[in-house]
Amino acid sequence: MAVQINLKELSKKELMLSPGHRLCAGCTAPIIAKMVLLAAADYPVVANSPTGCLEVSTCISDYTAWKVPWIHTAFENAGATLSGVETMYRAWKRKGKIDKEVKFIAIGGDGGTYDIGLQSLSGAMERGHDLLYVCYDNGAYMNTGIQRSSATPLGADTTTSPAGTAVPGKVQRRKDLTRIMAAHNIPYAAQAAPSHWQDFLKKVKKALEIKGPKFINVISPCNRGWRSRLDDAIQLSRLAVQTCYWPLYEVAEGATKVTYKPREKKPIEEFLKVQGRFKHLFTPENEWIIKKFQQDIDQEWERLLQEESQSS
Amino acid sequence: MEKVLMKGNEAFGEGAVRAGCRHFFGYPITPQSELPHYLARRLPEVGGVYLQAESEVAAINMVYGAAAAGARVMTSSSSPGISLMQEGISYIACAELPCVVVNIMRGGPGLGNIAASQADYFQAVKGGGHGDYRLPVLAPASVQEVIDLVVTAFDLADKYRNPVMVVGDGILGQMMEPVKLGPPPEVTTPPKPWATTGTLGRKSRNIINSLYIEPEELEKVNLRLQSKYRRMEEEEKRWEEYHATDAEVVIVAFGMVARIAKAVVDKMRKAGIPVGLIRPVTLYPFPDQPLVAGSSGPVKAFLVAEMNAGQMLEDVRLALCGRRPVHFYGRTGGMLTSVAEVEGKVREIWEGLK
Repeated sequence: MAVQINLKELSKKELMLSPGHRLCAGCTAPIIAKMVLLAAADYPVVANSPTGCLEVSTCISDYTAWKVPWIHTAFENAGATLSGVETMYRAWKRKGKIDKEVKFIAIGGDGGTYDIGLQSLSGAMERGHDLLYVCYDNGAYMNTGIQRSSATPLGADTTTSPAGTAVPGKVQRRKDLTRIMAAHNIPYAAQAAPSHWQDFLKKVKKALEIKGPKFINVISPCNRGWRSRLDDAIQLSRLAVQTCYWPLYEVAEGATKVTYKPREKKPIEEFLKVQGRFKHLFTPENEWIIKKFQQDIDQEWERLLQEESQSS
Repeated sequence: MEKVLMKGNEAFGEGAVRAGCRHFFGYPITPQSELPHYLARRLPEVGGVYLQAESEVAAINMVYGAAAAGARVMTSSSSPGISLMQEGISYIACAELPCVVVNIMRGGPGLGNIAASQADYFQAVKGGGHGDYRLPVLAPASVQEVIDLVVTAFDLADKYRNPVMVVGDGILGQMMEPVKLGPPPEVTTPPKPWATTGTLGRKSRNIINSLYIEPEELEKVNLRLQSKYRRMEEEEKRWEEYHATDAEVVIVAFGMVARIAKAVVDKMRKAGIPVGLIRPVTLYPFPDQPLVAGSSGPVKAFLVAEMNAGQMLEDVRLALCGRRPVHFYGRTGGMLTSVAEVEGKVREIWEGLK
């Protein structure tokens, strides 16, 4: 299924997340939300967000930045709430009360997706609801003050994995949620990055044309938590892809396809050194963490390429 | 004694360390997140373990596990997170395990907001989860008292083999006050022969359980729990009185509202109006004696002031059984009661008495 993106056409569409929301300067989450809604512009959309930065900053009471019908749900429940809405929609459709082709899209952060929301997300995927779940992964609980999540990378300094003499930041690897979602044998699971916008939009468009549960994981640089420059979000997203820390790929009907292969894989230091949360890694005693980080990436990249070659 | 400036949330953490707690299971939620932040740094310094759970449900069940192994263990959250913990708290109460749960209450219901509130009073003092059970509930009103009462909470938990809740509101969690730390208290943890730490060659096994299929058996467990709660009611009621003995109008308030009420008492006394304060320190068991005693003295009316729609009000009414009129003033949704508002209400009651 070839999906075409026409930038000129897209620029004519209305942005469905309005400015004036209260996300931080330099935040990537609203860029991701806007791109998702832009790719879905041909359909009526019902959106849903669990508690998180995006939710709390786009619905300061009595105001909303969302130009589509949007539901907030408790931290752990986006998968469940959207399942309920989609089920009602199917019932209405069966009864002839509605004939529109409505798209259901959840957009949640990594805390509400990888951790507390994993159960309801998994349930929604397994039951086969016709919805798209997009995770904006900024790698920690940024909304409540930068606590580690299961998406936080190895070695990162957070308020609950503080880097000091006793502990060198987070001691565990991050959870590979995209693979976990693909393992649900859903029709479409993918990983995307806002820096590679064309690839990202194509993935959203493609997902929306598929019936059943879909999942897209999007890297979302956060200058507050990553301790990076305000204007570095897209550059960091690009570095994440170029170092293969965040490979761009999709698993469609079980077939893995790597959608972007960097000509030259950059060393992970280039991604780490521009982020204050990894500052402490550049000392002799923590050198092993960077090495381990690189090893994990190399292994995962090789595995992905192998999976791709087996798929074709 | 040297004073240090501490944030309420940090004081909960330091209080736990002083009480000998070396195991903490946390999960982020505003306005309590500084508590896990503090312990994530502090516990490794004293050989303890900070572990972040993937949800509040996981956190409370980690507490269940550590408490079963005999550890002094704590978790903390704020209102919606405490709601998620209720199943686990009910299990722990039935399994009779000691632990401390901190609730830095915020505006509700639902997602509500992150402003200060006392709207989880019912949830805290009436059990909260399913089944007939109770938790001793402590309500500190200053950062200093946080340090001291967290130690008390651990002692009560061990004494009764029961989860203990310490409640503060968002203000107490976020405010900074000078604190006298002093030398750490002597921690005496009673022996825990019931803990599941391995049989060590014993023939008998320790069993931690909250499942009793036979109703006769479960009733026995319930009766045992109830007799324990009666013992708490006899031995553990705590309160503070402020100009209460000669007062004609007595304000009953806990936590931050009691601090506001104290200012009201001072102001009214200056104006020649005999107002006093009774501040329950234990919300369960509820200190009914000072109310009952007061009602046989010069007290003509009580005013319950809370940051909720009237929850402790019910316990005050139950304690007084109609002996004196009980008035109420409350703000909800995270709104703070002001000195002027409580004062206005007291004046209204005072005028009515004349």
